[in-house]
Amino acid sequence: MWRFFDVQNTTNLTQLFMSAFRIFKQTSTKMTENAKPLVFNIIAECQTTKARTSKMILPHGEVDTPVFMPVGTQGTLKGMLPEQLEEMGLQIMLANTYHLGTRPGPKILEKAGGLHKFMNWNRNLLTDSGGFQMVSLLELAEITEEGVKFQSLNKTKGEVMLTPEHSIEIQNAIGADIIMQLDDVVQTTVPDKERIALSVESTNMHCRTTRWLDRALKVHKNPNTQNIFPIVQGTLHEDLRRISAKDLTQRVVNGYAIGGLSGGESKDEFWKIVHLCTDLLPKDKPRYLMGVGFAIDLVVCSALGVDMFDCVFPTRTARFGCALTMTGQLNLRKARFAKDFQPIDEDCTCNTCKRYTRAFLHGIVTELPVACHLLTEHNLAFQLRLMKSIRDSVCEQQFPAFVQKFVFDLYPDKNYPSWVKDALTAVNIKLL
Amino acid sequence: MKFFVRSSTKRCPRLGVLRCTEGKSEVEIETPVVLLHTQGGHIPHITHEVFKLVSKEPQILQIPLVSMHSFKDTMTYYNGTISEFIGSKNSLTCLTLHDPSNLTKQGHHTRDKIPIWTKRGKVLYDADMYMDVVESFKPNMYYLLSDGDTNKTSPQKRIAKAVEQTVVFNKQCLERHRKSEVLKKMFVMAPIAGGYCLKSREHCIDRALFIDANEIDGFLIDGLHNNGPEVEFLPFEEIKSILEFSVDKLPPEKLCSVQGCWSPLNVIKLVQCGIDMFDTSYCHILTERSAAMTFQIDTSDENNDYEINLRHHSLAEDFTPIIDGCECLACKKYTRAYIHHLLTVQELLAPVLIMIHNIHHYLRFFRKIRQCIANDTLDEFENFIAGRYENYQRKTTSSVEDKIISENIGDNI
Repeated sequence: MWRFFDVQNTTNLTQLFMSAFRIFKQTSTKMTENAKPLVFNIIAECQTTKARTSKMILPHGEVDTPVFMPVGTQGTLKGMLPEQLEEMGLQIMLANTYHLGTRPGPKILEKAGGLHKFMNWNRNLLTDSGGFQMVSLLELAEITEEGVKFQSLNKTKGEVMLTPEHSIEIQNAIGADIIMQLDDVVQTTVPDKERIALSVESTNMHCRTTRWLDRALKVHKNPNTQNIFPIVQGTLHEDLRRISAKDLTQRVVNGYAIGGLSGGESKDEFWKIVHLCTDLLPKDKPRYLMGVGFAIDLVVCSALGVDMFDCVFPTRTARFGCALTMTGQLNLRKARFAKDFQPIDEDCTCNTCKRYTRAFLHGIVTELPVACHLLTEHNLAFQLRLMKSIRDSVCEQQFPAFVQKFVFDLYPDKNYPSWVKDALTAVNIKLL
Repeated sequence: MKFFVRSSTKRCPRLGVLRCTEGKSEVEIETPVVLLHTQGGHIPHITHEVFKLVSKEPQILQIPLVSMHSFKDTMTYYNGTISEFIGSKNSLTCLTLHDPSNLTKQGHHTRDKIPIWTKRGKVLYDADMYMDVVESFKPNMYYLLSDGDTNKTSPQKRIAKAVEQTVVFNKQCLERHRKSEVLKKMFVMAPIAGGYCLKSREHCIDRALFIDANEIDGFLIDGLHNNGPEVEFLPFEEIKSILEFSVDKLPPEKLCSVQGCWSPLNVIKLVQCGIDMFDTSYCHILTERSAAMTFQIDTSDENNDYEINLRHHSLAEDFTPIIDGCECLACKKYTRAYIHHLLTVQELLAPVLIMIHNIHHYLRFFRKIRQCIANDTLDEFENFIAGRYENYQRKTTSSVEDKIISENIGDNI
């Protein structure tokens, strides 16, 4: 009988890790170059699906994958102290280049000795390129070969151009362990294939995103302490994704991101592209699926072979009074919780579940800042626990059973969404 | 819970101890003490888990009923105390009516009822409804219901009404207290109303003392103000005679408390009069205006600071802590520049860090006060803080003047 909620049993797990490591040693990358800022050691691979678990070594410590990275947009994670996050076992978080580049700005970050020091976070950081925010926050963004031209929020500056070089320059000042190239994002809902093709396709041999990668790699100042990840583009067109992946895998990088998804496309289209991209990308390097963080998506995409995820959802929904559980979400604002003296989740070991009842949280959510801190802590603990369950079950060769039970618990009426069924069938899991 | 005063001389700074025995464990809290002001059972912005990083010493949480009113029905179904319900079962709790950090709306009186202003509007409490809450919350300490809606400008009619109501409330609440097994163990404090009228104060005290002395463990000098940030700037001279008169009349072996965001200098002056208990609402109002306490507690230090506003643009590149050498988490690990950044981008962590520092500093301030009483050096400390405060006032007024002057010059150009 396997217990995927058992988090205490660490000795056994370590042994399991070790034996699994011996079995699958052949697939792992050897630590040959000392200067390499990313070592990706695969510990176990699922025999049924494409899921794998690894220990990734970055300049600010280890990261166990598959990993969920919460988003600390402006150099802070929604009221949580880094001391609390360390205590919870968080190994990596994300920060946003666009926001940090605006305030406090690269000069102050450089003077502070980088974002790790500025925000007192000694573990790993990942920054995005800033391009996504421009396209999503600023309607007036215009993308040219040179970069992304947009209207500055600061009216005095007028038009500002974010180039691949400038993005790396800011990310060098921030100093995150993993940084992203500026990519040419096209909304998945854009039907214009010619426009998308421009993002990826060969005009001069290879696509714009690839050309921008080359420009980024050229100006990168800290290749020994910061990893640039390129981003596979091509929206929902398989042929374009193939070209993009082929071009990018010819460059010397330590990991890859799958971009341009999670932008409003249907789930039926979404999973197929993820499935394709993990097939196209090399096995011995981490794959990062950007902007994905719902529990079901994490489980399915882990099965499809994704190693890293990020999303604002768990922390954002906490601020609206929503608590995550293995069987779905609880909206604690609902009147039915007023006399409910249970914790959010009996099985959760976070401080919020140890100390508080749903009734108490019901009375303070969306009214007091502490309520937001308490739900943020719980939701982060939930994401961490879910990822640990995924990793442990992969290690124990129980991943398919874990997925079956997880999906069944979430949909006890077996009314499974078709995309979940299809995606899992594609990696040989038949639902209960 | 019992109060023991070390010296029973009237109207002088005094040391005492609040002793709470529950089962086998005994907790002792030294006075003058500062209660931790809470909203919804938490120090604003600070979860109990985070507070552990500030202090591990036993504390008393001040629970304003107005911030917990929404739990009134829930608590009648809950099988525990308010400290368990708010997630801090090892804390001691003290229930009070109003929130000292928020201005209490005046007026709206109804016979035998007191209005409180919750997020969802006005709620009228009479003695019975109030005692129902005390009974279901089961705090360690509580105040009898009172009408404290008076201040310097209150007319005689309002003062008389406040005293009359308070006397009636005291009587009604105590009747309930005597009958209830749950309430018997609690530390009870009687509020003294009467605004700025000595005669009314005297009348209220006489009536309170009429009660069996064994039933009342302490008093609250109520009705000095209507709470909120303005209390910080109340000139001590205005309350001095009322305070001295009241404290003088009260039995010296009982605990004597005030509520509100008094400035540090006025806290010392109140201690000099013999007040034993305060609250941390001052930390809250400072944090809300993005200010951190920087007044020196160690008198050997040369620093002339009193308070800094972390929003000030001059701190954007100041990579030093709020106070160099301060042992709080915010000062040990974070810089002024970082907190300034958090404030400019309106992040939740800014008030968390400022509050961690302010609470830490304020608790230290009270420790220093107790030390000074023990060494008989409270006068020197008062002078020292007064000097710092004057300096700070001079500096802020002159910088305001400078600004006005430079603006005028700008206009002329």
